[in-house]
Amino acid sequence: MSEQESKDNANSQTGTVSQKLDLRGLMCPEPVLRTKKVLDGKPEGAIEVLVDSDINVMNLTRLANSLGLSLESNECENGYQVVIGSASQKKPDGAPGHSHSATQKSQPDSVSTGAKPSNGAALSAKTNTVVFIAKDTFGEGDRDFSVNLINVFLQTILQAGHRPQAILLANTGVRLMDPASSVYKVLTDFHEAGVDVFACGLCVEFYGLNDKIPKEQITNMYAICEYLFSADKVISP
Amino acid sequence: MTTSNNESSRKLTANVKAAGCAAKISSLELKQVLSSLPKQHCPELLTSLDNFEDAAVYKITEDIAIIETVDFFPPVVDDPFLFGRIAAVNALSDVYAMGGNPVIALNILCFPTCDYPLEVVEEILQGGHAACAEAKVTIAGGHSIQGPEPVYGLAVTGVINPRSILTNGGAKEGDVIVLTKPLGTGVMLLGLKGDSLSKQESEQLLTSLTLLNKGALEIAKKYQPSAATDITGFGMIGHATEMALASGLSAYLYIDALPFFPGAVKLAGQGFVPAGAYGNRNTFGPSVINLEHIDVAIQDLLFDPQTSGGLMFALKEEPAMRLLKELTDSGLTASIIGGFQTGKPGAIEVRK
Repeated sequence: MSEQESKDNANSQTGTVSQKLDLRGLMCPEPVLRTKKVLDGKPEGAIEVLVDSDINVMNLTRLANSLGLSLESNECENGYQVVIGSASQKKPDGAPGHSHSATQKSQPDSVSTGAKPSNGAALSAKTNTVVFIAKDTFGEGDRDFSVNLINVFLQTILQAGHRPQAILLANTGVRLMDPASSVYKVLTDFHEAGVDVFACGLCVEFYGLNDKIPKEQITNMYAICEYLFSADKVISP
Repeated sequence: MTTSNNESSRKLTANVKAAGCAAKISSLELKQVLSSLPKQHCPELLTSLDNFEDAAVYKITEDIAIIETVDFFPPVVDDPFLFGRIAAVNALSDVYAMGGNPVIALNILCFPTCDYPLEVVEEILQGGHAACAEAKVTIAGGHSIQGPEPVYGLAVTGVINPRSILTNGGAKEGDVIVLTKPLGTGVMLLGLKGDSLSKQESEQLLTSLTLLNKGALEIAKKYQPSAATDITGFGMIGHATEMALASGLSAYLYIDALPFFPGAVKLAGQGFVPAGAYGNRNTFGPSVINLEHIDVAIQDLLFDPQTSGGLMFALKEEPAMRLLKELTDSGLTASIIGGFQTGKPGAIEVRK
């Protein structure tokens, strides 16, 4: 096994070419199909494919990515030469992997950093929890006190470092997004922290808040339902 | 799944380079060609070439206008009857996309009679006939020539009251987008050609390809959409861009709300992506916001050229919810997939 790998590494960036396919002159989806068939047979070493258009190269790139294989392509006479690495030399442990990594980078790296969500750094603290607020108070009670409570509730979430996927406001809840509301500030803080904060469009219109709430934070019931149904947990104060 | 009459006969799609609406000339190339033509002025013409309409509308009286459209393409499937039917359903769709009622049609046929038995032509025309019969459209004639690659389609005439034309340019800020068929026919047709679809997947595809947009339009008209088009060769993004541009708005699409054919995402991820999708990406990709944040397979499906695609309506959210219910109640696939907002005209924002 290790002998095979070192041989691959010594030979070229993508390893020994064990098979060559000339797929020039074939029409879509034949080049992808035939390449897939060979790769499904898990060949030793890499395979070399000749195709005649950049469309084929782009499609083979997708195929290689879906199988976690490296791919290199070069324009050549009458087309393109594509070398697809084989799975057997995908992860050469302790190999002098530098020349290797140029082509294989995307795959192993995204796996090895798997501890973090792969959606990008900004979202790293976000969980798939949605906060759904359908009134402008926290429970029922003295009105001023109940409005204040919702402010405290949101402040607490923010300070505790919780970053829900989204905060959705409906019915009188949309009033909280009015800059005149005492809760506006904390909602803005959430928004700036990368949390989606959205108000229900019908509600904004009904309560006449069209001029007060930024258009990009107004959404529709359909999107609200999408958020609620794709959430792991929905919290409604 | 594809039926072949006998093993020795040549497959209809065998020599086809680009199938269906994937065979369309790219929008960029088309614009370049069309811009060199002299502008004509015709007061009775109610549609403008500049707004990328699906069909031309010519006013006859205050109450009557005719809709003219033509659409044809090389075989998308090996079964000639099915090909004829899909091509006709696709051609008729442009009339529905304008809100009109197709009445007569003419066959357009190019065929290498040396390469295939004559019965194949007969079956293609029968397929076209079947679709027109279902749409209550009379085939009034046509034109056929010899050529190296089979091509079939229709020139269709429809009628409409000029006041009820549904154009690309009528979308209003705050409108949402309702789409009436799943996306991914270009990718799926490549999968079909490569014999890579399950029986169920190909059945779902063919059901959608042969479904007239007549039913969806009749329901939608009751809710007075502000704009309509059908999703064809320029793909979901391309047609959304055209509607947004013509309406002077920008649009947003919810990626998670987009209906794809089962199996389409997987196939696209494996490289079953038609050339037309790359062409559409070149044309429309630069005006898409946040494209890089979504999966490449989904991106490809957004640019995937659609054959016999669904209708896309713009209307206010509240009637859209009721429209959605009525469409799904009647057995159609329908989804709210995005909407229109103020912003750079023609820009499309993709949202997770």
